[in-house]
This record gives sequence, structure tokens and C-alpha cells, in this order.
Amino acid sequence: MHVVLLRLALGLYSLGFAHSVLTALKKKQTLFGPALAAMSVGFALHVASIAIRAVDVHYLPLTQRYEGFSFFGALATLGFLIAYAKYRIAPLSVFAFPLIFVMTFVANLFYDPSASIPPVLRSNWLYIHTPLVFLGYAALFFAFAAAIMYLIQERALKSKHPTRFYNWLPSLDICDDLAYKSLAIGFPLITLGIITGALWAQAVWGVWARDAKVLFSFLTWLVYMLLIFYRLIAGWRGRKAAYLYIVGFIGVLVTFLSANYFGGLHTF
Amino acid sequence: MQLALVGLNHKTAPVEIRERLAFSSDALRSALASLVGREQVNEAIILSTCNRVEVVAESSDDRLIREFLCEFHQIPHDSISKHLYSFRNVDAIRHVFRVTASLDSMVVGEPQILGQVKEAYRIAADAGTVGMHLTALMNRAFAVAKRVRSETGISQSAVSVSYAAVELARKIFGDLSGKTVMIIGASKMGELAAKHLRRAGVSSVLVTNRTFERAVELAQVFEGAAVPFEHFADHMLGADIVITSTGAPHFIIGKNLAEQIIHRRKNRPMFFIDIAVPRDIDPGVNEIDNAFLYDIDDLQQVIDTNLKERLKESMRAEEIIDHEVESFCLKMKGREVVPTIIELRDSLEKLRRDEIERNRRHLKNLSPEQQAALDQITKAIVNKILHSPIEQLKQVAHDPQGADLADLIRKIFNIKPQ
Repeated sequence: MHVVLLRLALGLYSLGFAHSVLTALKKKQTLFGPALAAMSVGFALHVASIAIRAVDVHYLPLTQRYEGFSFFGALATLGFLIAYAKYRIAPLSVFAFPLIFVMTFVANLFYDPSASIPPVLRSNWLYIHTPLVFLGYAALFFAFAAAIMYLIQERALKSKHPTRFYNWLPSLDICDDLAYKSLAIGFPLITLGIITGALWAQAVWGVWARDAKVLFSFLTWLVYMLLIFYRLIAGWRGRKAAYLYIVGFIGVLVTFLSANYFGGLHTF
Repeated sequence: MQLALVGLNHKTAPVEIRERLAFSSDALRSALASLVGREQVNEAIILSTCNRVEVVAESSDDRLIREFLCEFHQIPHDSISKHLYSFRNVDAIRHVFRVTASLDSMVVGEPQILGQVKEAYRIAADAGTVGMHLTALMNRAFAVAKRVRSETGISQSAVSVSYAAVELARKIFGDLSGKTVMIIGASKMGELAAKHLRRAGVSSVLVTNRTFERAVELAQVFEGAAVPFEHFADHMLGADIVITSTGAPHFIIGKNLAEQIIHRRKNRPMFFIDIAVPRDIDPGVNEIDNAFLYDIDDLQQVIDTNLKERLKESMRAEEIIDHEVESFCLKMKGREVVPTIIELRDSLEKLRRDEIERNRRHLKNLSPEQQAALDQITKAIVNKILHSPIEQLKQVAHDPQGADLADLIRKIFNIKPQ
């Protein structure tokens, strides 16, 4: 049942994905209304799917790879719906919908019906560490998307050639605000994520430093730390800050994917 | 429904003519009454703005309206005839739609015209000179205008220097409330831009000028504060938007100064608008992060791009209008009594013949007399069925309810307007 719901959600998310592609190609908002409706319904089905899975297996479904992607996809959708409710920035969808679609798609791709938990993950830390990190990543993704919108808008304003995108994108102030607020939410979450990860590793292995994922996550954390530090000290914002948001998120992606490519303790 | 429209606008008539044919708001009521009092003029609306005068009436003859215009304003027809245009029926509908949707305006897409047309309609409704035809027409026109606005971008972008400045400020700061604008130098254009910014929500205004008295004077207009010209750089710290228009021969704000100020403002963004010629601000300021500089040519460029965009969008608007005119005409036709009677008869007669034709195989054994009798009987049945609806239609042919009944009968018998 939960798989059927997940696939239905994916089908609805594909409409959001189509909206993003068409909007980018035509340089004009296309199909936003239907896409937003589809994403909302898709989200409800997605949450139902995760809930049913949780009831079936008697734990928060995060241990399988597909469960992880599915969970992250649902968080990203939730993040978008919250950001949209607060700021009414339709253009954010162009970034968010493809991410949500891809995450849910990958979840479907890796689907594995076995419910066994890998022995290494059998720990209560799982339910603390993983959600914290995922929530943090979702928030940082929106900071990244806002930074991209900022750069496009800033370029349009500086070049003095208004384009269609210029009319459609939100003001610099809103982009900056969204990026900073997302960072303000995401940074504490990944900080706690790293700390709980460290404690967990300590409990299981005793050591934890020789893992690629740990290393990258620490570097990423430093980038965001720098960003917050300069914002508070010197009011850093604008172009330079936008670049750092993007560097930081590339760090997030590398961290997220690193375990499978570089090996280490996070490969299970 | 017969529609006639006579009018003139900024394209067909110079202002000397337009002002002679304009109706003051006091005169509108009596003008409407005098127009509708005439034979063969049943309903009327008069729109009179500084750019146009339009008279639309439910009437079969536009000459009646021309006569009325000349008599009311006491102008010989020959002197104005070449400035007037006349439209009938479909063309009149199209013209009303285009005017209301701001496609016929001097600045295409300007939003005021819709309000002006609505006001003209309201006045006519109060004066009792609109009936069901013009009500249907105008309601459709308002809906079409709304559709054009929401589906095309013709009203989206600013096409004057002041509005362009406001729009750019909004793209930088989002909400303008709580922001401060500083005016350096006192020119008409700078004042106008500041006025628009103030109206758009900017909270406080600082004014500086070489002659301090002038600065004080201008500051009073905006309920702002005057600052001495010698210290303007210090006060600029608190300004989010800076408008310069001095007669200075050199730059008064260099890149270094702007850089320092942005730094001291902790990188809060600044928007510089330089409308002075020769320029007051070093163009290099635009390269600073969080500083945005537009000179008069840049603003003009924004406006030109916007105008081009509007022109492109107006083509799409014209397509919408074409489509709407067609569907409105079709709908109106469906509400007319006489065509409904004819089409009702035709449709049932066709039904009768088709049925006989379909059953030809079973009827071929009948004698010619019997066949003739069958024909007679079926005809009689059709006539009996139609008798009451047609009588009812004829009775209300000249009432406003006639349209509704025609509409209803068409629905019941499933007759589409041809």
C-alpha cells in the first residue's frame, strides 16, 4: 500500500517537474496553479505512504536507502509549502519541484521490500541523527535556491536590461531574507546532526574521524559558519554571500553522495 | 440588438477639438437624457475623458448620435466630421472592448481607463439610460478587460521615469516602508520621482541643495528634513535611495565615497538614481556589491524595453478581443426573439422530415393519398407544439424579458445560434 501511495505521489510530483522545465524553457511561468495543487496532494499521499510504512515495520522508516530518499523528498515538499505560504514566491518552485521529483524518483528506483534493519544502524541514535541532518539539508537547499534567485535578479538589475525573469523573480530583499532565514534554521540542525553523529560513532566504533562523509560534512559546516560569522560581524550579504551559499550547498551535495563513492563508515 | 458608436480620441482629434466635445460631469446627466429622449435611441452611455469622447447607444443609426453631439455642443457638423469615427454592431462591440481593455489608450495598457469606463457606465445607470443590451455589453467589456490584464503583460511594466524608479526600488528593497530617500539638488524630475516613491510607501525624505532655503522649501512639501549641502555625505548613511539632480559639472558622489558609505551601512543595499546631465555620480558605483546605480539613460532604456514588451503583449490582447467579440455576438444573437422563432420553426420542421425519411422503408406501401395525409398530420402536430412557445415569444418580443425567454427556449429545444 505504501508503495502505491509513493508512486502516486511521484506521478503528481512529475507535474511539478513539468512546470519547472516548461517555465525555464519558455522563460515564463507555466502551469504553476495545477502544479502547486498536484504537489500539495502528492505531499499528502507521500506522508500517508511514510506513515503506513512506519506502522508496518514499527519504526521510523529511515534505514533503507529508498526510505531515506523518500523521507528527504517529503521534507523538501514540506519546506517548499511552508516557504510558499510565507513568502508567496512562485519562482522557488522551479528549484524545489525538480529536487522533490528526483528524490522521490530515486526512492522508487531503489525500492526494496525487505524490512530488515542493517545491524550497524540498530540504535536509537538513528532517529535523532538522521532526521536532524535531513531537515538541515532541506533548509540549506532553500538557502541555495534563494541565493541563485538573488544572483539572477542582481545581474538583471546591474545590467539594466530587464528581462521577463526580472519581473517574475522576487525582490533582492526577499531572496536575501529567505536565504538567511533558511540558513538560520538549517545551520543549528546540521550542527546538532554532526554532534549526534559524533556521539553515535563514539558509542559504536569508538573512533569516527576516518570517514569521507564526516570530513566533508565538517568542511561544509565551516563554510556555513563563516557565512553566519560575517553576516553578524560585517552585515555580509549580496553577491559574495550568495556565492558562499552556493559553495556551502555544493558541500552538502558532496557530503550526501560521498559515502557511496569514497567509501567509509557511512556505506551500508 | 443594434449598436451604434460615435467618438473621437487623441489619435483622430487635437486637444482643441477634444475639449470642445468633452462633457463635464454635471452636463452628462442632461446629455444622456436628451440623447435617449430621441426617436430610435433606446439606451446610451457617454464616456468623456481628456483623451477621448465616446458615445455608444442602442440604436440603428449612428447619424442620430452625430446630430446629438453637434446640437449639444452647438458645433457645425462639417467642422468636426473628419475627427469623428462611427462604428456599428460588431465593430462597435470591438471598439468598446478595446477601449475598456486599454488597447486604444495613448499609453497602451494604462490602468485608469477601466475605472473611467466603469464610472461612465455607473452615471448612465443612475440616469436610467442603460437597459439590458448595454448592461450585457459593458459587463462583458469589464470581464474582457480583466482577462486581458491577467493573461497578457500589457499593464505590467512601468513606462515613465518616475514609475520605472519606483519599480526598480521595489525589486531591490521589496517593501518600501521604513525606507528613506535622499534628494540631492532640486529639479522638477527629482521631485516627481521622490513624490512617486513617497506614494509607494517610502517613509522619510531628506533634502539637500546648494541653496539651503530651497532645500527647506522642498523638505516641507514631503514633510521631510533639510540637511546642509556641505554635510550631505554624513546624512547619506541613513538613505536607502539617493536621487541626484544637481547642476554640478563634476561627479559629486565618487566610487570611493559610495564604497565607504556602503561599508559603514554594514552592506545594507543602496539605490542611486542619477537624473542629472552632466551626471552627478561616478558610473563605477554600479560595480560595488549592494549598490545599484541608474542614470537617466538607463531609466530610459528600461522604459523602452517595457514599451516593446507592451507592444508584443498587445498583439496577444488583440487576439483575446477577437475571440471575445465573436463569442459575445453569438451570445447576443441567441437572445434575440425573431431569429429564435425562425430557427425554432426550421429546427422542428427538419426533425419532422428526418423522421419521415428515416421511416421511408415502412411507409412505401402507403398510397399517395395516405402519404399526403401523413405529411399533413405530422405538420399539424409540429405546429400545435410550437404554437404556445411562439406566441409567448411574440408577446415579449419588445420586453427586456424577451431575451431571457429566447435563451430558455433555445436551451429547451437545443437550438444553437447560427
